Amino acid sequence: MTAEAPPVVAVDKSQDSAPASGVRAWLSRHPLAAYAIRRIGLYLVELWGALTIAFFFFRLMPGDPINTLIQTLQQNYIYNQQASAELIARYQQEFGLTGNLFSQYLKYMEKLVLHGDMGPSLINYPTPAQTVILRSLPWTIGLLGLSAVLAWILGVVIGAIAGWRRGKLGSRIATNLSIALSHVPYFFVALILVYIFAYSMGVLPARSAYDSRIDPGISLDFIGSVLKYGLLPGLSIVLIGTFSWILSTRMLMVPILGEDYLVYAEAKGLKGWRILTRYALRNCYLPQITAFGISLGFIFNGNVLVEQLFNYPGLGTTLVTAIQQLDFNTILGVTNIAIFSVLTAVLLLDLLLPLLDPRVKYWK
Amino acid sequence: MRLLTAVLRTIRNSRRLAIGLILLGLMVLLALLSPLIVKLIGGGKDPIELAAYEKWLVPGPGHLLGTDQFGRDVLAMVVKALSVSLQIGAIAGLISTVVGVIVAFVAGYKGGWIDGVLSTFTGILLVIPTFPLLIALSAYAKNVSLFQVGVMISIFSWPFAAKTIRSQVLSLRTRPYVDLARVSKARDLEIIVTELLPNLLPFIGVGFASSALGAIFGLVGLEVIGLGPGGVIDLGQIIFNAISTGALTLGAWPMFVVPIVLLTLLFAALNMVNIGLEEVYNPRLRGVAGE
Repeated sequence: MTAEAPPVVAVDKSQDSAPASGVRAWLSRHPLAAYAIRRIGLYLVELWGALTIAFFFFRLMPGDPINTLIQTLQQNYIYNQQASAELIARYQQEFGLTGNLFSQYLKYMEKLVLHGDMGPSLINYPTPAQTVILRSLPWTIGLLGLSAVLAWILGVVIGAIAGWRRGKLGSRIATNLSIALSHVPYFFVALILVYIFAYSMGVLPARSAYDSRIDPGISLDFIGSVLKYGLLPGLSIVLIGTFSWILSTRMLMVPILGEDYLVYAEAKGLKGWRILTRYALRNCYLPQITAFGISLGFIFNGNVLVEQLFNYPGLGTTLVTAIQQLDFNTILGVTNIAIFSVLTAVLLLDLLLPLLDPRVKYWK
Repeated sequence: MRLLTAVLRTIRNSRRLAIGLILLGLMVLLALLSPLIVKLIGGGKDPIELAAYEKWLVPGPGHLLGTDQFGRDVLAMVVKALSVSLQIGAIAGLISTVVGVIVAFVAGYKGGWIDGVLSTFTGILLVIPTFPLLIALSAYAKNVSLFQVGVMISIFSWPFAAKTIRSQVLSLRTRPYVDLARVSKARDLEIIVTELLPNLLPFIGVGFASSALGAIFGLVGLEVIGLGPGGVIDLGQIIFNAISTGALTLGAWPMFVVPIVLLTLLFAALNMVNIGLEEVYNPRLRGVAGE
């Protein structure tokens, strides 16, 4: 602390209604901007924290990836003698495993942030990790993304009707089924579906993402095959997903139904359907859109269990293979993408929501 | 005593809550009786021993659910595995809830920068995908005891408990009776124990049950991809055995259907309790709202 601090500053701090000058005053006049800046700052802190924890967590795993790699090479008769120290050193250099953990961390972050480079992968050496991930990304996005969209549409429509016609037999069945099944893991449903349709009836394929006899490309055969192979895993996700959206939509609908403006709409003689879509749903679709955005952020986690069961070449399967072979660059790549997408989805929604919904006030 | 009557009244008010609790109670009872049931099935010998019977027996009067690839009685295995799963859930749930409650109370009640730091940290932990971390952790844990597995899994489930309870603390903190207690010079700890905790008990209960379920399913997930810790036979291990030994092709459906049905019932029961509590504490959800 220096003694030369001008007294003016002290005065400035003690007054909330400072004269219109300086950053602080500008922020107090623009609450939305202040909120956005604070929110983006929090986002950056969370992103950095999560990436850092993930890095150290995975790096502290026991085992020696280089050794694993050399063993694999020997098993494949690519390399048939004792690995020299020189060779090991070169691989370590290449995978960024030299120096102490902290300097490795700094190097890793520098590469990732400045060049978007995740380093070479081990499961597909020498292909870069980001290429391996990019190859599996479309499968995960396609399967989980499509299923998520379908489940959301179905769930919101059925949930709204179930809330609207509550007490009726059909909506009671829908509600109770949703309560029972909305938290059941996708994997369980997938396993039962596989047993029924693939093993007992033999009508649908149980493994892989497309018929290996068809060349991948933009052809009707290939697209048909992808759809056929994606039907079972997709169905299991859509089923359970729909139930949970039914439940949350109904939860949002029921409290609204007693509101005065709905009674007024009814008194005006509007048709029930119109009241439901124009009046009742308008107040619940925003929170559902928010939740949907967040759930889209989560699809980048890849659904490890479902993908494993169907041997689907998505992110989840890539991740498990990478962990089994201690392929740090790919493991971190997949987790970093998952972390980034979830945080970014939440950030975008937090920034957009005050603009969409006048009732939302995040700032004081 | 007063607490008990309050609990009973709450249950009477909500059929869903009652059904959910009864289901959970039945599961726990089954788990507690598992040693007895296993003995009964064995009738003098151990039905879970390797080659206790013929392998791949079809379900019938002798073996209600048939036997597995080693000739073990599936029903006895499932009952025993259920108790293992529930034990792991209880251990992990307890640890997560205690940590979660402490973090939530400190953050929610103190507010200010402490809340900022704790909430940010909780938020960071929530966005790191749990499952890969669990898979990685299983690399450390090749031969671990049941208790260690529970502890291992609870590391990842406390942020959820903390987040749920914190939001409840925030809403309760501003209630008039808390202000009254503050004005009457009650100490922080006193306020927390006498005013806040009783009102939060149901939510803490739900938090406990959710973390327990999360732990049970986390372990099932690990087992299913073949990375579970050895020596712990829980429901996931049985499902994995069914998949890896080709029970699907052999048509030995009880081996994976029964564990899945049991776990599904657990999830359903918990969800009913959860929603029942919401309805009790938020009457607007029950029917047509007033206001």
